[in-house]
Amino acid sequence: MKLHAFSLCLFACTACAFEIDDFLDQLDTALTISAFQDNLRARLSGTLDLEIYHFEQPAPGLIDSKIDTLFNPRLTLFLDTQIGSQIYFFAHSQLDRGFDPSDHGAQVRLDEYALRITPWEDGRFTFQAGKFATVVGNWVQRHLSWDNPFINAPLVYENVTAIRDKYAPYSPADFIYGPYYAQKYAFNPVIWGPSYANGFSISGKLGQFDYAIEMKNASLSSRPESWLITENGFENPTFSSRVGFRPNEAWNFGFSASEGPYFRREAEPTLPPGRNIDDYREFVLGQDASFAWHHLQVWAEFYEARFQVPNVGDADTFAYYIEAKYKFTPQVFGAVRWNQQLFGTINDGFGHNDQWSPNLGRIDIAATYRFTPHVQLKLQYDYQHETTGEGEDNHLVAAQFTIRF
Amino acid sequence: MRWRGLLWCSAILPLLPVALLASATVEGRVELPKSHSAPVQAKRYQIVTKGGVLSTQPPLAVVYLDGTFPEPDSLPTKQVTQKDLTFIPALLPVRVGTKVEFPSLDDTYHNIFSYSPAKRFDLGRYRPDERPVPSQVFDKPGLVTLRCDIHEHMRGLILVLNTAYFVMTDTAGHFRLSGLPTGHYTLKAWIDSKTTREQPVDLKNGQTLHVDFP
Repeated sequence: MKLHAFSLCLFACTACAFEIDDFLDQLDTALTISAFQDNLRARLSGTLDLEIYHFEQPAPGLIDSKIDTLFNPRLTLFLDTQIGSQIYFFAHSQLDRGFDPSDHGAQVRLDEYALRITPWEDGRFTFQAGKFATVVGNWVQRHLSWDNPFINAPLVYENVTAIRDKYAPYSPADFIYGPYYAQKYAFNPVIWGPSYANGFSISGKLGQFDYAIEMKNASLSSRPESWLITENGFENPTFSSRVGFRPNEAWNFGFSASEGPYFRREAEPTLPPGRNIDDYREFVLGQDASFAWHHLQVWAEFYEARFQVPNVGDADTFAYYIEAKYKFTPQVFGAVRWNQQLFGTINDGFGHNDQWSPNLGRIDIAATYRFTPHVQLKLQYDYQHETTGEGEDNHLVAAQFTIRF
Repeated sequence: MRWRGLLWCSAILPLLPVALLASATVEGRVELPKSHSAPVQAKRYQIVTKGGVLSTQPPLAVVYLDGTFPEPDSLPTKQVTQKDLTFIPALLPVRVGTKVEFPSLDDTYHNIFSYSPAKRFDLGRYRPDERPVPSQVFDKPGLVTLRCDIHEHMRGLILVLNTAYFVMTDTAGHFRLSGLPTGHYTLKAWIDSKTTREQPVDLKNGQTLHVDFP
């Protein structure tokens, strides 16, 4: 009976969605303009996401909420502009409750804007300047709600560690055990989401190889506030790069590296005397692979990261995930992802070696139903388990309804 | 001997397909929409991007004779190619039952799909050198919108018709539809998903009729 009702509901939604589909196609045409004999073209597009999360406290990942059930609507707008054959400009703005899901009030941000120049048609060299996602890894290409098979990011992009970018720990014990007295948002993951920091990049393709190098104003672990050029200049830049190898359309392999200081300016007074934020850096090495053939897509990323921590030494971590998506029918697809993050040990100053954050594993399972080319519904369940430390578990159930225009 | 020949002819004639006897022609002009699509490719998260701009597609119409016509024994296979991140042709009229192949000439993946009620399919990602070339048989009349799951700007249309008599206009809207059966029919001009114009026509043997769709 319930299945019947659910099928009827899906059918009704599909019928209704087809009604608005025509309207969205017309809207798309209306929001695409061209001038100067098509040498200037611009397209305004976007997504409306309505998300509901239900979880146990403390909230998992970068979710910042004191309540267990969180409603998180988000309006995203994109502007893509092509000027001639060599210049491309894009901007990406969001109206939501915060860069990461939160119970805060509404805010509007300009998350990305960049100017790209491609002098040669074969793509051997491209220059880009602005505020844009990192070139590291392969998750960025699918991080937006319509393309992401999941509602959240892989663990390495959202699991907060004991690293704090606003003040330095005063002892190893404070570093290892200190997290429990502070707010979660005081800490940082290895890579903060797509890392929309400001800077410049060059990239290109040479045969089966591609390359990308970027200079940004903030490290990969930096919080969204640090990405702003008004908050953080280029005095202490971060350099990141990726070399890719694509033997054919199905396979893609990449090697990434990143290096840069991770403390914010306000942390300077808390650093040991004579030291500055440039002395404490985040090093990341990454390997990524992806495979796609017919209705199957598989991605994997492996990251080894080291943080130089004042009064502590080097804090090492290794994180990886393997993700697969399969389209069962033209409108239904499922995805599963296994994530794990392991932490090195540090001497706590009292003769004991202890891990600087608990090891943990997380499995994510998601299913998506596309009503039309513009409307989709995604459901997700995560189970996260700490394999060391307190051994805490967390369950997350989430739903995301997206309209793309 | 002469009478016997005539008798044979009168016996065989009703068995011949209508098309073999067709001889009427219709020509004219369809008023096409002024706008044309100049697509913009979203390259935000592509590490490697090529220069160049996407080709623009001028609006075209399909003119066809509506009616009930005999089923053909076989239909030629048609193709919609993916080249330079564009469907070529952008609009393809086919008869019901036609098989359409989707070869890719790009050095990147595409993922063609359609959610149109007339044909729902998803070809997935396939390499350009894969054989057989992925195809679909279009067995229901209607408009099928082709899209690519990877390249959001890509749009193609397949107009599946219940008739053997159709032709595409040129970019100025001119058309000529010949070899038509005689009789009373409706001539239709499909202009876009919302607009199909029609006019009744009386087709006579050897006659060329002029019909405009203003």
